[in-house]
Amino acid sequence: MVICIPRFNVYIPKDVSDALNALSQRKDLIPMGGGSDLLVLIRSGIVKADTVLDLWPLRKELAYIKRENGTVRIGALTTVSELCESDLIKDVRYAGLADVCKKFSTPFIRNIATVGGNVGAAHPLSDIALMLLVLNGKVKLLSKNGEREVNIAKFFKGKRRTVRNHDEIIAEVSFTETPPNSSTAFIKFDRRWGHAMGYVLVGAYMQLRDNIIKDVRIAFDSTGNPYPERVWTTEEFLKGKEFSDELIKQALNNVLPKEMKRITDYRASAEYRLDLSKVLLRRALLKIKSRIEGGG
Amino acid sequence: MSVIPREEWDKYPDIEITLNVNGKDYKVKVKPYERLLDVLRYKLGFTGVKEGCGRGECGACVVLMDGKLVPSCLVLAVRANGSKVLTVEGLAPEGKLHAIQKALLDTYAVQCGFCFPGVILAIKALLDRNPNPTDEEIKDALSGQLCRCGSYLRFIKAVKLAAQYIREGKEYFDESGARG
Repeated sequence: MVICIPRFNVYIPKDVSDALNALSQRKDLIPMGGGSDLLVLIRSGIVKADTVLDLWPLRKELAYIKRENGTVRIGALTTVSELCESDLIKDVRYAGLADVCKKFSTPFIRNIATVGGNVGAAHPLSDIALMLLVLNGKVKLLSKNGEREVNIAKFFKGKRRTVRNHDEIIAEVSFTETPPNSSTAFIKFDRRWGHAMGYVLVGAYMQLRDNIIKDVRIAFDSTGNPYPERVWTTEEFLKGKEFSDELIKQALNNVLPKEMKRITDYRASAEYRLDLSKVLLRRALLKIKSRIEGGG
Repeated sequence: MSVIPREEWDKYPDIEITLNVNGKDYKVKVKPYERLLDVLRYKLGFTGVKEGCGRGECGACVVLMDGKLVPSCLVLAVRANGSKVLTVEGLAPEGKLHAIQKALLDTYAVQCGFCFPGVILAIKALLDRNPNPTDEEIKDALSGQLCRCGSYLRFIKAVKLAAQYIREGKEYFDESGARG
């Protein structure tokens, strides 16, 4: 029986420093988190792998969710199901992450897909990366020579390309705890539930005080570049104004279309995507408002 | 298994791993690129693990690894080293049917049956943590299991029936009286 599977070697590190040493010495290592993305890419021939660095053994060090000193830290090798079962997403401020959990691929993929892998894959439809954008998250990169933190808004360079150097691994994502009168929402629109990629993804964070928008951050799966990005002009337009239907209508009709360039492909047309972006952003903002006011 | 050119024989070394499959320990030599699916199906003979798409989309190859539902086509065999794996063969003792299997038969959900090993294990993973699931919870838990015959609505009935069997303490049934 002949099975055509691409052949590659696997480097199994003992601990984090072993993995970092190996990465600094060998140029052919490709780090792999859960493998739900990379193994598919290797099998379909998109990525040519000689040796894969299996990061799974580092889970004893890099799988955690910690909330201390006003910062939420999530280890890069925390699986999506661990995030979804944590107390963090029960907090109404992070209800957007609970929205992510409901629509994130399928239960068995959630068991192997990791938070760091979702960010590092740098795919436009990366749900967790999108939520980190609106939570103003940071990505911690570790290398043999030390560590650095990159704001996630500056982390992506292109489709499947990030500012991560070859000898670095994503160790942690973190964000500052948001103020009490704020919340988040995430909406993914697709025809089906399981394995939904989404025609349009929107994530939003808003802080309301006396119905005035104190702070707002909005991110879409794509605004022209093939990676998730924030819509800065729309955010600026909304900031400091009173939350009303008229204000949202103005933002959606006059501001958002100017900074959003959508593409047409086999899944949806640009016009449809733009229209959908407007509808979903409105829904997301209304959802956040109701969450802040104690609704679901 | 796959045909490897002679010059590459040494390039990919054999790695010995230990696996506990359905309660029995196995020592098996695997190649680094082999998936848990290849090892279970072709080296150990657990053909209840089906390969559908090979990219984690169809849910036919799922197994319970250390109690967690994982797609065996996306787990490298070396990563499964030392873990406990449950496939559909290990669900009930020889000659018996598990309540989930009985419920699927009772609701006439079986058509071609290719997706069934995956569906059964997905239902087990659901009922292990939630003995009384709602329709929505069942739909979410089975959202990754593709059934091209379209038995989806019967799956929901079957999960509720299986949950009822297990609640009544009837976990195993005789194979002979399976079809009513």
